[in-house]
Amino acid sequence: MSVVAEHWHELVTAALLGTDRRDPPDAPPGPLADAVADCAAPTPSGRMLAAVATCTAVRRAGLRPRPPVTPLAPPESDDRPTVSQAAARRWRSVVAQWPVLEDEWLAVVESCNRRLPPDVLVGLLQRHSGDAMRWSRVMRIGDPLASWLVEQQPDLAARAGRPRRAVANEPPTLPVPPSLVPLLAADTDTIVRVLVGGVLDGTFAAAHRAVLVNFLARMRPDACHPLAVALRDADPPHPVVSLVHLLADLAETRHQMLEELA
Amino acid sequence: MGAQPPRCVVTWTIEQVIAIAPTPARFVAAEVAAAPARWVALGADDHAAWGRCRGSGREPYDTMVDHVHVAWRCTCPSRSQPCKHALALLAMWVRGQVPSATASERVTTWVEAHARRELAAVAPPATAANGEGPEPEDAAADQPPGRTDLDRSRNERVARLRHGLVELDRWLDDRLRTGLSDPALARYATWDALAARLTDARAGAMANRVRRMAGLVGARPDWHELVLAELGVLHLLAEAGQRLGDLPAPLADAVATACGWQVRQADVLSGVPDTDEWIVAGRSDTREDRIEVRRTWLYGESSERWAMVLSFAAYRQTLDSSLRIGSRLSADLHRYPGPSTRALIGTIHDGPSGDAAAPPALDIARWCDHAGSALAAEPWVDRVAGTVRAAPTIDGGRWVLTDETGSLALAAEGPGLATVVAASGGRPVPMTVEWTVDGVIPLSVHLPDRVLDVGPRADPSFVSAA
Repeated sequence: MSVVAEHWHELVTAALLGTDRRDPPDAPPGPLADAVADCAAPTPSGRMLAAVATCTAVRRAGLRPRPPVTPLAPPESDDRPTVSQAAARRWRSVVAQWPVLEDEWLAVVESCNRRLPPDVLVGLLQRHSGDAMRWSRVMRIGDPLASWLVEQQPDLAARAGRPRRAVANEPPTLPVPPSLVPLLAADTDTIVRVLVGGVLDGTFAAAHRAVLVNFLARMRPDACHPLAVALRDADPPHPVVSLVHLLADLAETRHQMLEELA
Repeated sequence: MGAQPPRCVVTWTIEQVIAIAPTPARFVAAEVAAAPARWVALGADDHAAWGRCRGSGREPYDTMVDHVHVAWRCTCPSRSQPCKHALALLAMWVRGQVPSATASERVTTWVEAHARRELAAVAPPATAANGEGPEPEDAAADQPPGRTDLDRSRNERVARLRHGLVELDRWLDDRLRTGLSDPALARYATWDALAARLTDARAGAMANRVRRMAGLVGARPDWHELVLAELGVLHLLAEAGQRLGDLPAPLADAVATACGWQVRQADVLSGVPDTDEWIVAGRSDTREDRIEVRRTWLYGESSERWAMVLSFAAYRQTLDSSLRIGSRLSADLHRYPGPSTRALIGTIHDGPSGDAAAPPALDIARWCDHAGSALAAEPWVDRVAGTVRAAPTIDGGRWVLTDETGSLALAAEGPGLATVVAASGGRPVPMTVEWTVDGVIPLSVHLPDRVLDVGPRADPSFVSAA
């Protein structure tokens, strides 16, 4: 222990009891004692205050590193290209606004064999720690870093346990009403015509929001941008204005998400 | 030649208005009343603001506030002082919603009477007791009746600040006399009463430190050490603050600012700018009493100096998020007086642009030298920023940053630690960190193609923050 650290320890002990019960310790000879001696405080508590202030300033200014520590053994190397910054930002906005697209975001990252950025990996592990299926999927995409990270940070481990069956490794399919299922396989023009026409003529109303959101998240990707443009150009009646804006935003978000991941 | 105290300031900040509110709820209520549409005959001048607020009563409440001597008067029946109308008037005045006007005779009379009482109260008792000067009342009576004497106002503020610092030193002395095991320290009221007196003395920064210290008592096993060190820092500031005239000018400015002397933004912005390419290196949010404070750290590429830009938000307000971490901007920065890193952004010539800029990283030994130098210049600062290349690892159950020159303890595990560990993958990585008394806090990790913002983030249920 250095002289200053030792003196500080004595000061803390004396301060606990108070100078009414214990005299302040003498500063070790040298600059510290000289600085305290400059203080003309007549009382023990005044001298103690000066010593505490001086010692605090010296300890802060004399900031020194501790001895080096053995670094952690690194994980296996991973040569895959990292997901772009734009795609990482998109994941954050998808999670906040369109969580229905998150499974597709992960699926595309996996199929493109991309590496997850560190912040997104941590975010995904935290977000899905209670969902064994999705957590396992994140681990699969994030390995080898993910397994190493969970060893270092056990808080990132799944709370719900690992899935028991391999089949559970695929996310559930988003439900779409039977009447719309054939449209999933239709060409872009048909999708745009049916959806935009349906919204404008009242076939689809605000009550259909959930199924339409699911449909847009499942429909063929190349229909997203034309649909977003057609919805934006439409002149919807008042009751469905917000629905049209919402669907246009979802279609455009999905289009951009897939572009960024391509 | 001794340094003069910084120029007198009559402008408040919204944080000061919040600080004088008796309770947070009172300020929230005042915010509702702080709509110019609810007021008539609004006006303000260099000493006071006034207006009539339409409330629940038949007649509007007549409210006036002396913002120099910190006094208020309102005809509402509220027993809570200051009432919500006075707070609302101050809040509107701070936000520039109160037009300049000439005070009526009634306002002038009230302000003068209050100023006379105030002057009598702050006059040093020794002067009168020694018979070396007039009695305080006489001294006040001898003052010219004009209300725009800024020198007088500044001297009053200096006297008030000095009075507050003397009182603080006496309180610190008592604490060391009775010891840190004194049960009174466990009561918030012990600290709050002192903080309130310091706020009255316009030593708001000291009041904040005292309130923060109250939160340290009993918070962890070594709280005695932390509180003792902070008592030492307060003593240092209290002593230095009473001798501003004897200190070198930059140090005097730094001490005055640390004591809570407010410097007008306009005065800072009128100073010589520090023009540079600034890298937005890191950000940290902390709650200080009822205010969320965002520190954004900038690094000047040519000057190789650090600067800190603060933004504040009260409940339900929004923190400034215009400075994206990792971006670069060409701008004029205006530094506050003294060696402090605090600055205001003036003219932005270009940017912010890019998203992977990073200051040069030091090894741990050189980073400690950098932080130590900053702390030697201003031992009272709470945070020092710098960029270090190091790897996170565990030492004795605690996370540290390490390289071949040494190691640094990290502050309590924050939400950003997992990202730092993931980004490093066990290898050294450049990161911007903040020194605090609790240990080092990582603010950002500088990867080759991106910067990860990992600094402590404001609670989104309290303020809106990107």
